[in-house]
Amino acid sequence: MSLRDNAIVAYAETKVMEKSDRDVWVLSGEILEELLDKTGIDKSEIDGLVMAGLTGTGAANPFWAQTTADVLGLEVGFCEQVHVGGCSAAGCVARAAAAIDYGMCEVAFLLFADTHVLEDRTDHSHSYRREWTDPYGLMGPPGAFGLLSRRYEAQYGLDYRMLGKLAVTQRNHALLNENACEKLRVPITIDDYLSSRMIAEPIRLLDCVMRADGAAGLIMMSRRRAKEKGLAKNIIPIGYAERTNFKGGENLVDVTRSGHEICGQKALGAAGIGIEDVASFHPYDDFIIAIMLQLEAFGFCKPGEGVQFIRDHDFSYNGDLPLNTGGGQISAGQAACSSHNLVEAVRQLMGEAGKRQVKNTRNALVTGIGWINYGRNWGSSAALVLVPE
Amino acid sequence: MAKALNDTLGVKRAIKHFDFSEPYWEGTRQKKLVIQYCRVTGKYQHFPRPVSIFTGRRRDIEWREVSGTGVVFSYTITHRGTALFRGVEPYAVVSVTLEVGVNFIANLVNCTAEELKVGLKVKPYWHPLEDGTHLFMFQPDRGAA
Repeated sequence: MSLRDNAIVAYAETKVMEKSDRDVWVLSGEILEELLDKTGIDKSEIDGLVMAGLTGTGAANPFWAQTTADVLGLEVGFCEQVHVGGCSAAGCVARAAAAIDYGMCEVAFLLFADTHVLEDRTDHSHSYRREWTDPYGLMGPPGAFGLLSRRYEAQYGLDYRMLGKLAVTQRNHALLNENACEKLRVPITIDDYLSSRMIAEPIRLLDCVMRADGAAGLIMMSRRRAKEKGLAKNIIPIGYAERTNFKGGENLVDVTRSGHEICGQKALGAAGIGIEDVASFHPYDDFIIAIMLQLEAFGFCKPGEGVQFIRDHDFSYNGDLPLNTGGGQISAGQAACSSHNLVEAVRQLMGEAGKRQVKNTRNALVTGIGWINYGRNWGSSAALVLVPE
Repeated sequence: MAKALNDTLGVKRAIKHFDFSEPYWEGTRQKKLVIQYCRVTGKYQHFPRPVSIFTGRRRDIEWREVSGTGVVFSYTITHRGTALFRGVEPYAVVSVTLEVGVNFIANLVNCTAEELKVGLKVKPYWHPLEDGTHLFMFQPDRGAA
């Protein structure tokens, strides 16, 4: 057994809300119901619950996954919360597959539900922030990405219009995505991007992700079991890798480089494809420049050539490298434990993306970025390659 | 005309220390920058950790006083501050590569937006706090060659 002996057999997703009008467990129940209806499996068949640890609402409860299992009436042999920040969604797929391979469960329910706008219990007080960045007024992720952007600019130069191009492409995708947050479904231009107000200069408002509420979920099982059950539209994870604390044992590093260099090579290697074979790209997007840095780290282009690569390619759903076709988090809203780009990739490979359906569904590359470390870029990087059965 | 950056000196800071950082804070009482040094690898590390990030061992750590001069590695101008800093924007947060090879994030004072750039030479600026310690900041080192 290995990663690729497993399948994602169904996905479900609520609309992204500026602020949820329902409790996080109501959203979780909606996801469970939709997945049961879609697959025809009985609730009693679910014996694995895998939840993303990236939750504001559940952050203060050390028993979050168990409590959720209880609330939903699930009896499971594998009850797990995955704590790699924004890599958690992709990380859940790998861990569910590992648990199925190992025999800890046979049918896994991957749940990404969060209402961190309605109720946020996140507490960063036991971290470097309290001594080393809070006293200087460095504003969390936007401040960190402000430092990262200026450094990139000093090393390589940076045409902000090209970051604007990515912002516009993602926004156009959100306009085609009925599940995207309504507040964000307004067209923008590159000039709108450039003139949006500065938050942590050079980070502008339209660089930033907006926190929102919502839920999503997946059902996974072995390919053999999926076949036995007659489930037809299956998506196979064929390569996964993650890296936490890249160069964490060094004191001074090039902040324009990240763990994606390593996990990209590993995941693509396991998948047996080259970067030039990637049919659609679904990079984690908390800030627009993170997308460009990933284009470089994964090897779409060389370090420092991201701007030129963006200039030369069309990232729209019908372009030569479709990118975050659901709008990404920046234009759909940072909801559902940052699972949006993963769920969109699954939807595309199942051929269910409607007006924004990509033509080439041979594969999809999904990534994660998790946590902000001191004076670098991010704490965790992940890469997941998916193909249709 | 030079664009003013707020020095943030009016912001009241009450900082909760980790116990393994105390030697750093003790040093600031005498305006001394004291950071961690790994005696096995001969490298410095910042921020303070309970172990050497190079060897993983507690016993390899010692604390050494360093000059606090360096060059700006990167910077950001904050236009939307954290709750405590609301109303004092815009202000600069810089990441500075100290001479001993670590990056230190802090505020920059006595500097205009025009003057601030990657590569700018800076030196310490010590801001007194109510508990007798000082907050380490930077200011342009205009006398530097």
